[in-house]
Amino acid sequence: MPETAIETRGLTKTFKSKVRNLELRSTIFKRKETLNVTAVDHLNLQIEKGELFGLLGPNGAGKTTLVKILCTLLPPDEGEASINGFDLKRQQMDVRRSLGTLFSVGERGVFWRLSGYRNLEFFSAIYNVPRRRRHERIMEVLDLVGLKDKAFENYQKYSGGMKRKLSLARALLPDPPILLLDEPTVGLDVISSKSLREFIKKDLSRQAGKTVLYTTHYVEEASQICDRVGILNRGRLVACDTPSAVRGIVKKGEVVEIRVKSIKDAQVGVMKTMEGVIDIISEMEDAVLGQRRLRLHLRNMDVLPVVLDFFLKERIRLIDLRHEEPTLEDAFIELTGRGLEE
Amino acid sequence: MFQEAEKIYYFIKRDMISFSTYKTNIALMVLSALFGALSFAYLGSNAEMQKVLQLYNMSFTAYLVIGMAFSTYIGQALTLVQKTINPWHLEEVLVSPTGLGTFIIGSSAWGFIWSTIVVAIYLAVGSLAFGVVLSINIVGTILVLGLGVGTLIGFSMIGAGVLILIKQGDPVTWLIGILTSVFGNVLFPPQVMPYQLQIISYFVPQYYFFTAIRLMMIGWSIQMILPEILALTVMCAIILPAGYFIYSWCLKTARRNGTLSWF
Repeated sequence: MPETAIETRGLTKTFKSKVRNLELRSTIFKRKETLNVTAVDHLNLQIEKGELFGLLGPNGAGKTTLVKILCTLLPPDEGEASINGFDLKRQQMDVRRSLGTLFSVGERGVFWRLSGYRNLEFFSAIYNVPRRRRHERIMEVLDLVGLKDKAFENYQKYSGGMKRKLSLARALLPDPPILLLDEPTVGLDVISSKSLREFIKKDLSRQAGKTVLYTTHYVEEASQICDRVGILNRGRLVACDTPSAVRGIVKKGEVVEIRVKSIKDAQVGVMKTMEGVIDIISEMEDAVLGQRRLRLHLRNMDVLPVVLDFFLKERIRLIDLRHEEPTLEDAFIELTGRGLEE
Repeated sequence: MFQEAEKIYYFIKRDMISFSTYKTNIALMVLSALFGALSFAYLGSNAEMQKVLQLYNMSFTAYLVIGMAFSTYIGQALTLVQKTINPWHLEEVLVSPTGLGTFIIGSSAWGFIWSTIVVAIYLAVGSLAFGVVLSINIVGTILVLGLGVGTLIGFSMIGAGVLILIKQGDPVTWLIGILTSVFGNVLFPPQVMPYQLQIISYFVPQYYFFTAIRLMMIGWSIQMILPEILALTVMCAIILPAGYFIYSWCLKTARRNGTLSWF
């Protein structure tokens, strides 16, 4: 039976947020009212040892809050969690020793006037890396993330990709069994992002056997590298399975991809209101030619003639039409009723 | 214990390397200390105060140079904790297996080392250029410094805690700064002020600190300044733990509310 690396039971975190309410006019002070925003809502999650688990969700879904709770930075309001067998509330130091955390904004906490090596030297002391192993370990992780040649260059001279890699190196420094990687590829170019994903899958997950919780709002990332994915929506886990099984949820519906010319936003808006149309993702392919790609998520194929009839009436030129296999993003829309970028 | 001490060493090393990269700033700081010492010693040499001589058995020049030297130290102590507790660095350390105490001591250690260098510059200029006679009671100086800095760190932690919660402005440090300059016995003895104002001085720990440290600089024994030591000890025993408690509480509250890095 596989061992559990991360387990949460009914984990909940609610933030209080003061918002302006202009309807409350009696005094200036009463114009603000307190709203409770539940960022993580009774979350039950199990991640096995050695698993690369992707947590997918749009901005504000609760991914970062969950990571902050798991790394002991935020105390949960309700529920329990265990990390590497240690209780999140009662054994915080053991939990911290079991984790390497990469925050979504990676440049924080790094000292700009120090070289990459000196930064890691400081953090290796903070993370109790034995003194005799320290130099060797720093060079090891710098080598792993491809920064060995730049070890003694000042951090402020690093490119965005190098900075992200150094943050990852810092998380790897104490050689923890579990890694929490919060949107590790944010802000990276396509090539750096791809190489980082490959490194996480090949070196960290497969070779070193680390348990990785990888949060992202990029569907393709999760779909490409993760063993299992969870879809988080407004703090709740709405699906949790292998990428193909989650994609299978959409099998109930149909996905059709259509390329058209001369369609206006208002016309796409009308299509979205049609009976049987669950959602439409619209993407401009060629602004000069006015060519657009529409990904229609339909309840069934009976809706398609209605859509084509609309094109005919509105004189929208159809370039091609394909019946598509559903993607994770389609699954997300099916499950949450909103797109990932919303 | 050794591991924690080693961590503090790496905090100092980190800050020292970082500090050493601001070469122009270091030069300006050293020059400021030199010119500060020169200007205050000059001012003192031209405006002797009979009262000072009576109270401290020293010239006004010596009074000013020692006051300025240690006010740098106290100023650093007062603002250091909140300067070094950058909320983003705080998050990074709070997820590591390092305690809050080690973090506070480590984060502020380099600032104190640098302040000690500045104090040495002031005293050297006063002694070499203006003939200020020093006969330092080293044990007494360390004791007074420990109590004074401990009390001020307590205030600094209260200020840092308030800053973590309210995010901008820090009324605590501001108020202590004002009280130090007027009632702290830094540039003039409170005894020159009206009696009603003098009373306020007796509630300000800096008054006892500056009185005691001046007397330690001219070789008085600890027994001779027992009232000041006692007053500082009581204040330190109350303010330092209170500061730690308030700081920890504010930190816990900010963590619970998820507002730690909102600056």
